[in-house]
Amino acid sequence: MRRVAVIGVGVTKFGLHDRTSAELFAEAAADALTDAGIPASAVQALYYGNVVGGETEHQLHTGPQAASVLGIPSVPTTRFETACASSHAAFRHAVMEIAAGVSDVVMVGGAERVLNVTTAESTEYFAYASDAVWEQRLGLTFPGVFALIARAHMQKHGTTEAQMAAVAVKNHRHGALNPKAQFQKQITIEQVLKSAYVADPLKIFDCCPFSDGGAALVLASEEVARRHRKPVWVLGSAAASDWMLLGDKRDLSRVPATERAAAAAYRQAGLGPDDVDVVEVHDCFTIAEIVATEGLGFFEPGAGGRAAEEGRTSLGGEIPVNPSGGLKAKGHPIGATGAAQIAEIVTQLRGEAGPRQVDGARRGLTHTLGGNTATVLVSLFGRD
Amino acid sequence: MTEPAITVRAFFERVRAGQLVAIRCESCGQLAIPPRELCPTCHARAWQPQSLAGDGTIASYTVIRVAPRSHAAEAPYAVAVVTLKEGVAVLGRIVDIPLGSLAIGMPVRFRPLVVSDQASIGFGPA
Repeated sequence: MRRVAVIGVGVTKFGLHDRTSAELFAEAAADALTDAGIPASAVQALYYGNVVGGETEHQLHTGPQAASVLGIPSVPTTRFETACASSHAAFRHAVMEIAAGVSDVVMVGGAERVLNVTTAESTEYFAYASDAVWEQRLGLTFPGVFALIARAHMQKHGTTEAQMAAVAVKNHRHGALNPKAQFQKQITIEQVLKSAYVADPLKIFDCCPFSDGGAALVLASEEVARRHRKPVWVLGSAAASDWMLLGDKRDLSRVPATERAAAAAYRQAGLGPDDVDVVEVHDCFTIAEIVATEGLGFFEPGAGGRAAEEGRTSLGGEIPVNPSGGLKAKGHPIGATGAAQIAEIVTQLRGEAGPRQVDGARRGLTHTLGGNTATVLVSLFGRD
Repeated sequence: MTEPAITVRAFFERVRAGQLVAIRCESCGQLAIPPRELCPTCHARAWQPQSLAGDGTIASYTVIRVAPRSHAAEAPYAVAVVTLKEGVAVLGRIVDIPLGSLAIGMPVRFRPLVVSDQASIGFGPA
């Protein structure tokens, strides 16, 4: 298998946009090509993530639409849909296409538009990623899924609402350093704890926002990447799945797909959690970050909440988690999220993250979770 | 071709009639909630229906206050993952239990929930 590098990244500002998802992707993609310093004609394929385009934009077939709007209509393109992990799944397949020798330069991207519909509508569309008959009929929501996980984690490990609030406060503090973030203002523990319940025990400030946005990456073979100023190498990329129904999951306080994907990615890279300097994890809800840092092996099961409260996951802490602000503050345009997390890690490993730079970061990890924890992708990155 | 032991449609027709049913693998004895074509333990394709008593305990629960559009008029409402005494677990809507008294480990009992002619799983006081 050939080595693969990320040589270009582009991310739009996340938040409210009066543009289609294809336009948002195209802006990010053009920025990624400029960043890579290669012409659009070099791109041989597009792997694309988009989730609720059918619902919010009445738009399927979003792969060729995105390629057309970018201006590369003839490349083969495929849309990936693994709920919120879609563009990370797209990334993994693009890596395999280059590693296998099929292509030398592949674009990965994703975009989402949801702020053109009401919260009740987007809450319903996101719930389509849970089972239609067994779960949606009961009125289950995504905050509801993670509330069930939070309650189980609190019961088993004594995790507190204040520990979850510490994740939100930390990610807003990081997001305030990121000009692309949807929220660039700091919040306090008291604000989080006093905010209204969405699905007990999760409150509005435990939840990431609905967001519009796009992200793109340019991937290249080693031969092409060697001509680039600062290639960031893909050291491992793995996916894992788990039971779809919540009732079939044996222990709601854990995410087995995270544990399996992490084990596979660490094995590919020949690395372990202690080798990682900076991490972007899927904090769609504060409890999700806590469970992710446990599943990735940074902390023992049950110790993630305390670690967040003690500042161990902050910039300047032992393992900085979500320096971008995470989904919580940077925003979560679901089809773009996986690619945007990778863009942040590439920026960190290049040493170009400005005020949110993790000093001397050499190895980074991204973790993206799909929907009801039934899909997880984990990738590892390193610089020369 | 083998007929499925219990289709989704058949499962919810039984729910409407007040019955909760699972499927048991004839080869290894694994119990599962349908639909399932192959046994995830032994990969046999030999399920038989098995009635469940409907008694269980709450494994986790939440009170949903921001609801999807199609359930907006019902909020707030509670959903819970309930572990049935036979060992399988399902998600259900909590009915006739004060929201403030819910707790992990609380015993509950299955009851059918029929809303606008659609049957789903409910759990009420044991």
